[in-house]
Amino acid sequence: MKLLRRIRYWIQSRRADSELAEEIEFHRALKQEEFERSGFSQKDAAAGSRRELGNTLRAREESRDVWGWTWLHDAARDVGYACRTLRKMPVLAVVVIASLGIGIGVNTAVFSWIQAVVLQPVPGVENSSAFYLVEPRAETGSYPGASWPEYNDLRQRLASFQNLIAFRMAPFNVGEADRIERKYGLLVSDNYFSGLGLKPALGHFPESDESSERKPVVVLSHGFWKAKFNADSNALGQTIRVNDQVLTIIAVAPEDFQGTVLALDFDLWIPSTLAPALFPGSRELDDRGERGYALIGNLQTGATGLQAQTELNAAMRQLSQSYPAVSGKFEGELLPYWSAPRGPQRFIVSSLAILQGVTMLLLMAVCGNTANLLLARAAARSWEIGTRLAIGATRWRVIRLLMTESLLLGLLGAALGVAIAIWGTQALRAVPLPTFFPIRFQTRVDLMGLAVSVFLGMSCALAFGLAPALQLVRRDPQTQLRSNFGTGSRKRLPRTLMAIEAALALMVLLAAGLFFESFRDTQTVDPGFQIEGVLLAAYDLTGGGAGHLQMNRTVDPAFSRDFADRVLKRLRELPDVESAAIAAFVPLDIHGLPMRSFDVKGRARTDGSPDRALINFVTPDYFRTMRIPELAGIDFTALDDRTTVPQIIVNQEFIRRYVPGLEPTGRRLQYGKDSFVIAGVVKDSFYDSFGEAPIPIMYFSYRDRPRPAGEIHLKTRAGTETLVAGELQRVVREIEPGIPIFNVRTLADHVETNLFFRRIPARLFTVLGPLLLLFAAIGIYSVVDNNVAHRITEIGVRLAVGATPRDVVAQVVGETLKVIGVGILAGVLVAVIVYIHVVPGGPIDPRVFLGIPAVLLLIAATACWLPARRTASVDPMIALRQE
Amino acid sequence: MNVSSESPDLLPGTLDLLILGALAHGSKHGYAIAEHLKSVSNEVLQVGESSLYPALQRLLLNGWVKAEWGASENNRRARYYTLTATGRKQLRTERGEFDRMILAIQRVLGAI
Repeated sequence: MKLLRRIRYWIQSRRADSELAEEIEFHRALKQEEFERSGFSQKDAAAGSRRELGNTLRAREESRDVWGWTWLHDAARDVGYACRTLRKMPVLAVVVIASLGIGIGVNTAVFSWIQAVVLQPVPGVENSSAFYLVEPRAETGSYPGASWPEYNDLRQRLASFQNLIAFRMAPFNVGEADRIERKYGLLVSDNYFSGLGLKPALGHFPESDESSERKPVVVLSHGFWKAKFNADSNALGQTIRVNDQVLTIIAVAPEDFQGTVLALDFDLWIPSTLAPALFPGSRELDDRGERGYALIGNLQTGATGLQAQTELNAAMRQLSQSYPAVSGKFEGELLPYWSAPRGPQRFIVSSLAILQGVTMLLLMAVCGNTANLLLARAAARSWEIGTRLAIGATRWRVIRLLMTESLLLGLLGAALGVAIAIWGTQALRAVPLPTFFPIRFQTRVDLMGLAVSVFLGMSCALAFGLAPALQLVRRDPQTQLRSNFGTGSRKRLPRTLMAIEAALALMVLLAAGLFFESFRDTQTVDPGFQIEGVLLAAYDLTGGGAGHLQMNRTVDPAFSRDFADRVLKRLRELPDVESAAIAAFVPLDIHGLPMRSFDVKGRARTDGSPDRALINFVTPDYFRTMRIPELAGIDFTALDDRTTVPQIIVNQEFIRRYVPGLEPTGRRLQYGKDSFVIAGVVKDSFYDSFGEAPIPIMYFSYRDRPRPAGEIHLKTRAGTETLVAGELQRVVREIEPGIPIFNVRTLADHVETNLFFRRIPARLFTVLGPLLLLFAAIGIYSVVDNNVAHRITEIGVRLAVGATPRDVVAQVVGETLKVIGVGILAGVLVAVIVYIHVVPGGPIDPRVFLGIPAVLLLIAATACWLPARRTASVDPMIALRQE
Repeated sequence: MNVSSESPDLLPGTLDLLILGALAHGSKHGYAIAEHLKSVSNEVLQVGESSLYPALQRLLLNGWVKAEWGASENNRRARYYTLTATGRKQLRTERGEFDRMILAIQRVLGAI
């Protein structure tokens, strides 16, 4: 009730105020009549009544205060005042709001990406940031995933988990024999959808009993359903052919849901129990050695990660005792979902974290700059503030007034920032990603992003507003009114700020420079292989649907070897093909190459850790096709050679680390159960990322280790790629009609795609860098301009007693540059330390680490030279009369 | 000229009680309330406007009185305050408490 009355009062506050005034005036009039009745003249009575009533304004104010709206009233007045002040300094306001908006915008955009990866890694699933991965870790430190029987054991034993679900990525051939499409799907456990808490867009998700009966069912993604069935609800109950099996469509997944592997967009979900039917010969449901399932789940309410880890340790110990041959050397590890050891997660999270760090620095630099601009402005306002204090405003009231201005600037900046962030994330999402895996990021600026923006805006306002406000209020109003001249302490603050700002700006610019250079490296630096003129195409025998192949072709190495050999022989006959090879992995892929441990015969390990190297599986002619120089030894022998001992080829770095000072060719090496002979040495090239330090690698031959899948590499004559792509399809169809060729693209396209995460920051900073320089220049200009304006008398005296304008300019510029120089030096030092920490062993590029400070210094010099020269060129007499 | 000063040392909350009491026998405007308090108390209680009007606002906020515009004796627009039902109840309780307080004070003083 009371609240209601309060609100009613607030709505009619203007009327209530005038009524109160009228009421008090009525009171006074009666009083005057009273005086008149006791004999005073009308004039005296009026004066007397007024005197007796005292300060009616105070009575009115106190009456208003009763209703408790004073704060709002004051705040509204402050905002109104702040608006008027900002309107009086439009240039400053525009510069501050624009720079803040850009700073907040990029921060919010990067934050919304981090949010999409870390806080909501599984779109469409609530609370997905709370998911944990249960990962068996091999002795070598690799994470090969769990086997299906292991999953069933763990599911029973890990009581801390609400629902432990399992899934495995698998490629499928979808459609009838002549129109087979390559689609990616997940083989999932029966509790997959219920464990994720998903509701289907259509139909019913498989129940536990249905899948245990191994009913041939499939769940389609919303996108696939729309594309294939025109979003027709009649699709339910229809069948599709997947890997030559007929599956019944029982549900369509919700639109947002794209699967449980970060950023990847899947089309099909199929119960794992169907795996033996879909992949003939697969023993994954029974074989503890067949790993590859990812296990995720969230904890029971009240259960801790530590508890779950303890349970996992106990369970893994039991398993290793029960099955020493396959589980003996495994330990269990509980990881937060976003730090998945496989897939693109790690890479994305770390690059985003670095990006966020740099954008935060950028925002701090902007804040420093704004503080300086406001300080310069504050000096000009000291008369106004002095007046306010002198006529009785409390210090607190004046600080509040000034802070309202800053907050208004901060919020306007945040508003602009949100707009920039929304535009930016949409622009990023629209960038096409021609990867063979359909990648989809569902990033958007939501309430959380909005809150972050506003929070950043308010914090910035506090950061840059408090210093000038305190500065103004701290001083005695008398001195403020008496003179406009600065005191010593007032000069020190802007100088410190200028140095800090120069340091921050420099760090951001250095980061920008490094991002930019790393991107430019990708255009100019030799990756160690030739990017141009190579056509790539993938095949996979395990998913082949044609029924005329033997049941166990997926595990028969001889078939894989033979297929590779036949395909390559036919391809080499094509007129436009210069050379052809097959490799299991393509370099510079976002997924990276696997790393394995091995033993070099006769090498004593210096410490306990095993020697490790990247691995790839290739056919003869691979190095010639990729134009990777062969430095010593020979290429692999032909695929149909049955006599030569198993071979490997290694790179220079491998030799440098593991076989130093010895003749490498002919040395023996133990990998797993087999022994290999080093047949040749090739030049280092980039494997995982551009600009990486050399990494050791071992190439195995398809002859010794045939793989059922691979990437065909064709070196073609220039300009014939598309022509050859068509012929390639025909050749493979002739050899094995059921094997689809997919993901046909040039090596250049492949590399370009995987540079996505470098190109974005590089582009971002090519825009942000110059802008930041401009803002810094404006900041320095305004500080120096203000400084010389206050010293005009001093300058006038110096000119009058014979100093040349050149001396004056030199002095002002010198003083300022000394301050900025200190900042720049500090910035370079910090940047170098951070750089060495973040990129160990990375080259310190002098173009970046010397060039950028030089540019900044040059711009700073120009920014302080302009106002200095203008002041120094005035007539000394005019300068002296300014006082 | 007699310049009124605030009644010294009124117990906290007493002014509200006095105003409620002044309104017990019918609605009055602000000036009439002040005059009523002055005359009934033999000029002991002189309530200044700077306390009277905030106090009236407080009573309005609490819903103990309501205000209406009406015509004064000499036909001028004046704002009349009237006790509401809750105001009447409040007056009774506050009055009871006040009596108890006075009695207690008298007992303490009488014991000296």
